[in-house]
Amino acid sequence: MKELNRREFIKSTTVATAGVATVASGISLTTFAAEPKETDPVTNEKRWGMLIDTNKLTETDIDDMVNACQEEQGWGEETHSNADQKPSWIKKVKVKDTATQRISNLALMCQHCEEPPCVDVCPTNASMKREDGIVLVDRHLCIGCRYCMMACPYDARSFVHEELTNQKEHMPRGKGTVESCTMCVHKVDKGEQPACVEALNGDAVIFGDLLDPTSNIHQTLKRVQSTQIRADLNLNTGVRYSGI
Amino acid sequence: MSRLLIVFLSVLLSSVFVQADHHIPNLGEKATEFKDDGEEAHKREGMSHAASLILQRKMHPELLLHKRDKTLRQGVRGGYVQLKKCVECHTSVDESGEFIPVNAPDQFCSTCHQKVGTSLDCFSCHRTTPAEEM
Repeated sequence: MKELNRREFIKSTTVATAGVATVASGISLTTFAAEPKETDPVTNEKRWGMLIDTNKLTETDIDDMVNACQEEQGWGEETHSNADQKPSWIKKVKVKDTATQRISNLALMCQHCEEPPCVDVCPTNASMKREDGIVLVDRHLCIGCRYCMMACPYDARSFVHEELTNQKEHMPRGKGTVESCTMCVHKVDKGEQPACVEALNGDAVIFGDLLDPTSNIHQTLKRVQSTQIRADLNLNTGVRYSGI
Repeated sequence: MSRLLIVFLSVLLSSVFVQADHHIPNLGEKATEFKDDGEEAHKREGMSHAASLILQRKMHPELLLHKRDKTLRQGVRGGYVQLKKCVECHTSVDESGEFIPVNAPDQFCSTCHQKVGTSLDCFSCHRTTPAEEM
């Protein structure tokens, strides 16, 4: 075998390392491109969002959305709570322009902010944002302090004031915890649309991945003028509105 | 006198054994069916029967705890450990054909939890009977 001196040894190992690195980078590129499985954690390559067109949305449409949400998630049957205590994950809001008297109807729910104030204030880390932008309450950790309800600029969260039975299998709910719109995360993970979106015909509400350039919501947001409610707070909401 | 004491002690002990016999766990409707058919449900789900039984008896809180965080925080769905799957097989049915909540006294979860005196918090939020469509 040929004796290597120091310089030759370094030269040959550098070439070999570079070769391995090139091959390895090729391999890693192909693995990243693989389709995500059900057992893979969600990533920030997606950001789920919704675009609500208030011009197309009638009052009965909003009622349909609220009913679909109640049906899907099983809230609204609380008999021992008074009107202020009853949960409301999605609500109908009327906005009136004082100058022109123009009335718009909005469906208002958790706006799934990129910088959620509810997550900032939570003392137990129960209020959380998933990698794909969906803001949730981890009821296993929620102590019911309701700081998040105070912090939310949209009044999107509710507190469960009474003991519940017969909950939906996919949506555990119980006394002493805070809850809000989950963007039907159990359906979204299966590749379906949220219940309120499915309840409507037409394209008054579009759901999809805000980051995917081929998605309907991304292209529509590029084309039409839309706004975030309380955009001045710089929360970068996932739920956008057009026509207000 | 000592004979009396022996009789008294044996009566005491026998009452203890009778008490212990009361705590044969109520497996629940579907799980009993599986067992009677000689089918090993836990094995079918991809674990060895014996291992899974021992594992479940000792470790079900840890297994569920691990899975709940993965599901809620990372969106990892499916898999072997799911509370709704436990409930699906281990609930019983009463005379009128209605499901009895799995955390009700003398049902599958509460038999052991009563015996060892640990609280059972899962079902203050989670559904206690199988979903309607099942």
